Amino acid sequence: MQLCKLLNTLNIPEYNLYLCLFIFQTEHKMSVEEVCRKYQTDIVQGLTNAKAAEYLIRDGPNALTPPPTTPEWVKFCRQLFGGFSILLWIGAILCFLAYAIQAATEDDPAGDNLYLGIVLTAVVIITGCFSYFQEAKSSKIMESFKNMVPQQALVIREGEKVQINAEEVVAGDLIEVKGGDRIPADIRVVSAHGCKVDNSSLTGESEPQNRSPDCTHDNPLETRNIAFFSTNCVEGTARGIVICTGDRTVMGRIATLTSGLETGKTPIAKEIEHFIHIITGVAVFLGVTFFILAIILGYTWLEAVIFLIGIIVANVPEGLLATVTVCLTLTAKRMAKKNCLVKNLEAVETLGSTSTICSDKTGTLTQNRMTVAHMWFDNQIHEADTTEDQSGASFDKSSVTWLSLSRIAALCNRAQFKAGQDSIAILKRDVAGDASESALLKCIELSCGSVRLMRDKNKKVAEIPFNSTNKYQLSVHETEDPNDNRYLLVMKGAPERILDRCTTILLQGKEQPMDEEMKEAFQNAYMELGGLGERVLGFCHLLLPEDQYPKGFAFDTDDVNFQTDNLCFVGLMSMIDPPRAAVPDAVGKCRSAGIKVIMVTGDHPITAKAIAKGVGIISEGNETVEDIAARLNIPVSQVNPRDAKACVIHGTDLKDLSQDQMDDILRNHTEIVFARTSPQQKLIIVEGCQRQPPNLHTTSQQTIVAVTGDGVNDSPALKKADIGVAMGISGSDVSKQAADMILLDDNFASIVTGVEEGRLIFDNLKKSIAYTLTSNIPEITPFLLFIIVNIPLPLGTITILCIDLGTDMVPAISLAYEAAESDIMKRQPRNPFRDKLVNERLISIAYGQIGMIQALGGFFAYFVIMAENGFLPSRLVGIRLNWDDRGVNDLEDSYGQQWTYEQRKIVEFTCHTAFFVSIVVVQWADVIICKTRRNSVFQQGMKNKILIFGLFEETALAAFLSYCPGMDVALRMYPLKPTWWFCAFPYSFLIFVYDEVRKLLLRRNPGGFGTEKQTITEAQKEKNISLG
Amino acid sequence: MSTSPQDQDQNQEPNPEKEEQKKEEVKEEVKEEVKAEEKAEEKEDKPEEKQEEKTTEETKEKTQEKGTKNEEKKEKNDEAWGDFIYNPRTGEFLGRTASSWGLILLFYLVFYGFLAGMFSLTMWVMLQTLDENVPRHQDRVSNPGLVIRPHAAEITFNRSDPSDYSQYIQQLHNLLQQYNDSIQERNDLCLVGEYTEQDKEEVKKVCQFKRSRLRQCSGLPDTSFGFTEGHPCIIIKMNRVIGLKPHGDPYINCTAKRDSPLQMQYFPSEGRLDKMFFPYYGKKAHPDYVQPLVAVKLLLTKDDFNVEQTVECKLEGTDLRNNDERDKFLGRVTFRVKVSE
Repeated sequence: MQLCKLLNTLNIPEYNLYLCLFIFQTEHKMSVEEVCRKYQTDIVQGLTNAKAAEYLIRDGPNALTPPPTTPEWVKFCRQLFGGFSILLWIGAILCFLAYAIQAATEDDPAGDNLYLGIVLTAVVIITGCFSYFQEAKSSKIMESFKNMVPQQALVIREGEKVQINAEEVVAGDLIEVKGGDRIPADIRVVSAHGCKVDNSSLTGESEPQNRSPDCTHDNPLETRNIAFFSTNCVEGTARGIVICTGDRTVMGRIATLTSGLETGKTPIAKEIEHFIHIITGVAVFLGVTFFILAIILGYTWLEAVIFLIGIIVANVPEGLLATVTVCLTLTAKRMAKKNCLVKNLEAVETLGSTSTICSDKTGTLTQNRMTVAHMWFDNQIHEADTTEDQSGASFDKSSVTWLSLSRIAALCNRAQFKAGQDSIAILKRDVAGDASESALLKCIELSCGSVRLMRDKNKKVAEIPFNSTNKYQLSVHETEDPNDNRYLLVMKGAPERILDRCTTILLQGKEQPMDEEMKEAFQNAYMELGGLGERVLGFCHLLLPEDQYPKGFAFDTDDVNFQTDNLCFVGLMSMIDPPRAAVPDAVGKCRSAGIKVIMVTGDHPITAKAIAKGVGIISEGNETVEDIAARLNIPVSQVNPRDAKACVIHGTDLKDLSQDQMDDILRNHTEIVFARTSPQQKLIIVEGCQRQPPNLHTTSQQTIVAVTGDGVNDSPALKKADIGVAMGISGSDVSKQAADMILLDDNFASIVTGVEEGRLIFDNLKKSIAYTLTSNIPEITPFLLFIIVNIPLPLGTITILCIDLGTDMVPAISLAYEAAESDIMKRQPRNPFRDKLVNERLISIAYGQIGMIQALGGFFAYFVIMAENGFLPSRLVGIRLNWDDRGVNDLEDSYGQQWTYEQRKIVEFTCHTAFFVSIVVVQWADVIICKTRRNSVFQQGMKNKILIFGLFEETALAAFLSYCPGMDVALRMYPLKPTWWFCAFPYSFLIFVYDEVRKLLLRRNPGGFGTEKQTITEAQKEKNISLG
Repeated sequence: MSTSPQDQDQNQEPNPEKEEQKKEEVKEEVKEEVKAEEKAEEKEDKPEEKQEEKTTEETKEKTQEKGTKNEEKKEKNDEAWGDFIYNPRTGEFLGRTASSWGLILLFYLVFYGFLAGMFSLTMWVMLQTLDENVPRHQDRVSNPGLVIRPHAAEITFNRSDPSDYSQYIQQLHNLLQQYNDSIQERNDLCLVGEYTEQDKEEVKKVCQFKRSRLRQCSGLPDTSFGFTEGHPCIIIKMNRVIGLKPHGDPYINCTAKRDSPLQMQYFPSEGRLDKMFFPYYGKKAHPDYVQPLVAVKLLLTKDDFNVEQTVECKLEGTDLRNNDERDKFLGRVTFRVKVSE
């Protein structure tokens, strides 16, 4: 039923019907015989081998079909044609088109457009391959998570027990499971002995549940006689008939369902789309403007079309795709080092713009390890050390009562360390046994030494295991003292039950009668520990009198023939799954970073709240409605819910909430804990969070929500979230498939590093893009002036490519290594509607201001070379037609000299080289100003070594391209006279000074948008004054 | 918040009372907005205030900031495209108010004005450093190119049809205009076989090159330059390069690219370029300078008619390059001639 509800929320009708029909399966209501008949199997003999083989052929192997893995070539194509690549492809196609037009109309077409088209294509393909391999790499790491050891199952066929591969299990098989096994398929239990299963991966319920042959519920998910595929049997044994295998199991259904969920675009994909819109807008605007201008100037239609294409293509930042890919890859690598494995490169940034994190409790916020947290003995609460590295405070262990308590905890305990772990730290050892007993075992081992030795000294004589009617566990041991022939009875269990059986209490090693005062004290301690969300156990013992129970007394545990009351109460021990050490700090960081952390757990509200308080999800001093009611001593209904910032919501309440109520809660409470929630409700919570405005200052909708999860049933929520985070250690394969990111250490703190990296890369990408875009203007303007004022072309295609794919590359990438300007974890998450990766302001500064200065620097170098070779600017204007005419070999310069075509072309190409070098020179200043957005370079420093390397590299590359012999033939670049390098220096300096002044004013009037324009104007005026 | 006034705008009626009411409502809402924002901002600003010194400037800036934030907020609320292009409520055009656009325009005006000034300044400084007679670098024109007149890579004509070759003749006449004897009479006679070096002289003299020196190819006796008989004259000139002094004894030598040699006549004899025409002192110092010419008369025979002749003329007898691989016009020139009857 719950699943159907889940499906309704997903609005997938076809799945809905299919899965609900399945859920209404009836095997659990049938008798064992009916089930046997249905599957033509036998309750004792099992299936015949022939039948099994037949079923195997009919149903296929018992394994989940991996989610329709996109074929490799589709993945590859997605890299080739996705997002940014489209822009380059269009550019390339336009180039080929222009070349085709030229080839059709001219005898000797210039190859520029063809080369450019080829280079663009090559760039897209190479970067496509690069990101494809990058992704393949991370999916390879994913593969390694998968359990490579084939799972085995014990089946009974033709009356014989055989161990077979779990994949070969078929419906109707009679199988046996025991504690520690993974259930190989959905089975109908036919007989069970103390069988408990852990359904947490399916339902989120962390407590193990009993399995028995009786049908206890109409709902197959709730009934006790069905055990589900891929859940774990914790203890006991059971025998059952397989009713579903593979994809037809409940788990299989959910896995299939998840793959049907559509995921939205990542924020960075949206940003890139927006960026493409802007760039295309600028390109088309420029192209059309100059197309019209060209027509007016008297160019032919065809020429004008070629110009149009040329201008549009010139606007395409060839190197940016590669830069963005490399920057994202670098960050992904850095994140992987910090235990965040990102499956999809684009998801790298998503965490950075996240404003809400819905986190699991168990394993993510906590250590996923029950640990003894408190003890009550000698009428005093003692605190145990719960830290992972045992660095916390210890308590007084000298008390005799403690010795008794530890002895009971050690003896009345079935848990034991698995063999061969002596070298491992106690807390990290694997234990066979349930969580609480392991906690006790480890606690005792840590404080009193070897439990095994203690058990050897006190041989167990009899034992009554824990069961739900008694609610206690009891064992009888010989004493350590060989002369003492008395038996020691030790008992632990639910504290109130234990207390009922006690008449005395051990205080400071002395047995004293249990009076009302002590009972009161016990109650208080019990309440207090329970209020901390801890699981409390009571302990008592008794030395059985020798006269009644002499040595060799036959203890009968079935028909209890010995004393189990009038015992001596020793103390209480309480356990909790303690928070991970780094989590409170991480939650604090999230809070200062404006990220709301919501805890979603299947645990009890009290435990959830205690952990939430422990890790700071509910911060100190913040109260829930219930707290306020308790403090003011008024009913909960009288408290104004607005007064409480924190709230703990029970899963059952959540069910009854309308969407508006849900929104109201999410909006008005800053600290929220969802307890007792089913994984299905997690999806509703995620959707609710996504509906909220990201922060108070905007009315726009949609928050970016990160969700952590490990169970199979979490996968819809993981997929629905903007970024799903799966757990690398405890997570199921299905959840890992659905997630965008995997925490290799299951630690919440890793998410925070992810957020930090994500924010940093957004900032740095912005810088990289600003840097790369700036040089677009000095690349386009030469062509525009070439068309309008008919000067020889100042910058050619090859040199443009040398800039975009050569010299600009390393500095642009180096900006990805830039350190954050201020504490990025102290500001609000970016607003996806306002804080764009590329906005008008960035374009205005890059294109309108810095780019223009750069263009002037380039043109200055151009005019210097032309003038020094004899062509003064006045001569150049209008010279184009003759200049580019191969037939004119006596073109006169300003001094009356005459030039052949080839001679003047060498000068032109020297100009291209000089223009190119000038761009490199002005880009020095550009990369330095792009380092920071607000801070001065003098504040930020030049600590980025990669950037310094980049500066040298681009200079060296420029010098190489200019001076290397053979370049004149290969790339038509010519050596420059040393003085020509300095032409652009004043402009480079101007860029630096201009931007420093701009930032100074920006820092002085922190404001946004409107004011910035003003400040720039002021900056300009100021500079005019200072220069004048 | 502000959707309500918008809605009301749609049901507009020319009712003054209603409008007033509306205005009030809008005002109230704006007030509320401002209040709410002020609160929020107070919160935001608090930590900053602690760190920074409170100055009167700062408070001014803050009021500015508030103003702009208000604008921003308004922007956000109207997302419809129509409103984006022109929003009558706020008077915004393309998401900005007129004053905002004006400010941007003003800024760019000032900014580009400054850039233009700076560029002009650097250009002016650069131009000041240049010599007015000799360009700073001449390494790219150390070897002169050769060109022919008439200007065409392929000279094709029917000798019996004057309109076919009139354009060629016209070109030759134009070229030789400045070599007219009447003009050249004014120039000086120079020493044959010697450079006319006059580095020191203020006024550079020009050596005489009379058109008549080209004889049959001067266009004086035969105004058709031999095109009518099918013996066309081609005039070859060497590019002017300032300060160029060719060593040796430069002359033009033409060869037809075919097995049997083609008869040619050179004017002046042997196609010599006399040293006295060198060096050239530039347009400014040497305004009337004429460069020496060599005319080649191709004596095509009857068999040669209707067959394309490829002729290569080279500058010989000197150290100037005439075999550059890439530049086919450096010290040489190739042309094709096809005469039909």
